[in-house]
Amino acid sequence: MQQVGGIEQVSVIPQEPPEEQQLFADTSPGRTVKDAESIERSAPLISSVTPVSTLGGCAIHRGPITIRGSVDGCWPSYVEINKHNVAVGRNLCDLDLEEAKRVCVIGKVIVDRLWPEFPNYNPIGETILLNNRPFTVVGVFEFYEREQDKRRRQLAQEKANAKATPTPTPAKKRSGRSSRSTPLGNIPFLAKNSTIIIPISTMMFEFKSASVVGGVDQGPNLKLDALTFQVADINRFQEALAQVRRILTETHRTVEDFAFSTREEMFDAIEQNIHETRMSGGLIAGISLLVGGIGIMNIMLASITERIREIGVRRAVGAKARDIFVQIVVESAVIGFIGGLLGLIASAAMMKLLIYISPGKNAPVVELDNVLISFGFAVVIGVLSGLYPAWKASRLDPIEALRYG
Amino acid sequence: MPLIELIDVVKRYKIGEQEILALDGIDLTIDQGEYAAIIGPSGSGKSTLMHLLGCLDTPTSGTMLIDGIDVSRASGNKLSEMRNQKIGFVFQSFNLLPKLTVLQNVELPMIYAGVSARERRERAMVAIERVELQNRVKNTPLQLSGGQMQRVAIARALVNNPRIIFADEPTGNLDSRTGANILQLFRELSTGGCTIVLVTHDAKIAAQTPRRIEIRDGKIVDSESMDPLLSGQAQLTPTK
Repeated sequence: MQQVGGIEQVSVIPQEPPEEQQLFADTSPGRTVKDAESIERSAPLISSVTPVSTLGGCAIHRGPITIRGSVDGCWPSYVEINKHNVAVGRNLCDLDLEEAKRVCVIGKVIVDRLWPEFPNYNPIGETILLNNRPFTVVGVFEFYEREQDKRRRQLAQEKANAKATPTPTPAKKRSGRSSRSTPLGNIPFLAKNSTIIIPISTMMFEFKSASVVGGVDQGPNLKLDALTFQVADINRFQEALAQVRRILTETHRTVEDFAFSTREEMFDAIEQNIHETRMSGGLIAGISLLVGGIGIMNIMLASITERIREIGVRRAVGAKARDIFVQIVVESAVIGFIGGLLGLIASAAMMKLLIYISPGKNAPVVELDNVLISFGFAVVIGVLSGLYPAWKASRLDPIEALRYG
Repeated sequence: MPLIELIDVVKRYKIGEQEILALDGIDLTIDQGEYAAIIGPSGSGKSTLMHLLGCLDTPTSGTMLIDGIDVSRASGNKLSEMRNQKIGFVFQSFNLLPKLTVLQNVELPMIYAGVSARERRERAMVAIERVELQNRVKNTPLQLSGGQMQRVAIARALVNNPRIIFADEPTGNLDSRTGANILQLFRELSTGGCTIVLVTHDAKIAAQTPRRIEIRDGKIVDSESMDPLLSGQAQLTPTK
């Protein structure tokens, strides 16, 4: 969730204008940088916005190496909105934008692919060619990976470091190899790790000032490929959307050729999933408790059948029916208690195992009240399932109980 | 002073459709300090009588006073209390709890009397000494001989200082020599002031007790072994 941006992120997407607007639909300029500027200026409920103009299939050169990728022209706020982090160097800045500088911030995978001979290379100040135009690398994004991969990598590194203490040189080699040997196809967030951003002004000047379709120059293409903004206060989400809608209706000359793509549905689905998982977990726990309770009850019933004579003796020496009842319930509660204790020990061990198998942020959180509640449930189940056997035992006729067996 | 007084006690059982008249108008008085034997063939009602006297059951009709308390209509809890405080049982099959030690077995009645742990231990030790088993305190019943087990049972019966001890065929599972020892123990307890009622079908054992209560078909046919001329008369004064 962290990697794709939060619920506060909204994209403006194009949409076929409604039928009654078809006549004047062409008057709308579509999504332009002006939209972003207007939103930035006039929508106080929006914390940041970025226009994005994408150059797909761009040839990226560094020396003999050429790779293909897509380049985004954008504002500096792109980094914040898309939950990027600049690990080395700097982000784009307003001056880059103003002067349409040929600078870029690139993802870690791009670095690794352009400089395969240098693991963990710091390319700040290097020049790469984007469609044969030189760009200076001013920043590198951090390497995005799943939490468990991160943990695994750190563990491997620690192990390698520990082994390497007497001879540090091979360790370096090993860690270098391991970071490079990762096949590209297996990298999660490959798209995010392959990001290249340049100022949108540079993008417009260098790559979008002519759009040749069928050998005829159609003039500059100033339409955006994406327009993304971030809502400042999630509690005023709808209000913020309405604000942006008003602004865009203005800039699009009342043509409703845009819509909002929110992540609400996605998050709703995730929440629904979590809820369902919890429900089914609870159901399983409930069934287990029921089965366990029936088990205890059976054991207690068998136990009192075996001990009818003992119950008779106890009654004969003066135990009241209530005393027998309490005795059986307490025994049953003790079974529940011991079972609960064993369950806690087992779950602690299972949790250790789980953390070992799947490292990362999804390690289970153990709260005291959870522990107490589940333990309390075990005892309560013990007591409850002891009630019927206890009632049965307490109703035994002392004379018959003494004669039994 | 009569310790137990039964006036026209009737006990009926219903087994399915059939009604069985187990006790048919019993009048009986047992005094403080008596040593009596209830004798009769099986099916005569002697066990039923002992269950009534031992507060394990209540009569269908009639009045039953134990130590001045009318228990003929008593509730289950009241009967438990009577068994606990006034009555000690000794059974043919000993009925000790096999998983408890001798000491714990003897302590058992005091647990239900609400005696503190320390006092329980002290009193149990006194009772165990009385039956001369102080060196087997930590053993479990299964490690004891039959005679020893019966002595533990007697200690358990004694431990709450009951007004009366009922012994149901106490020598039934013992060989004649240990049986004689147990009877000797009863005689000593009787001399010491205990009220003891034996239930037996063995005339030889009954002959050793000062008083004999013979029961047949739910009626007392003879309640005085010392004077056969009085047979048939239900209520009698004790022998002295």
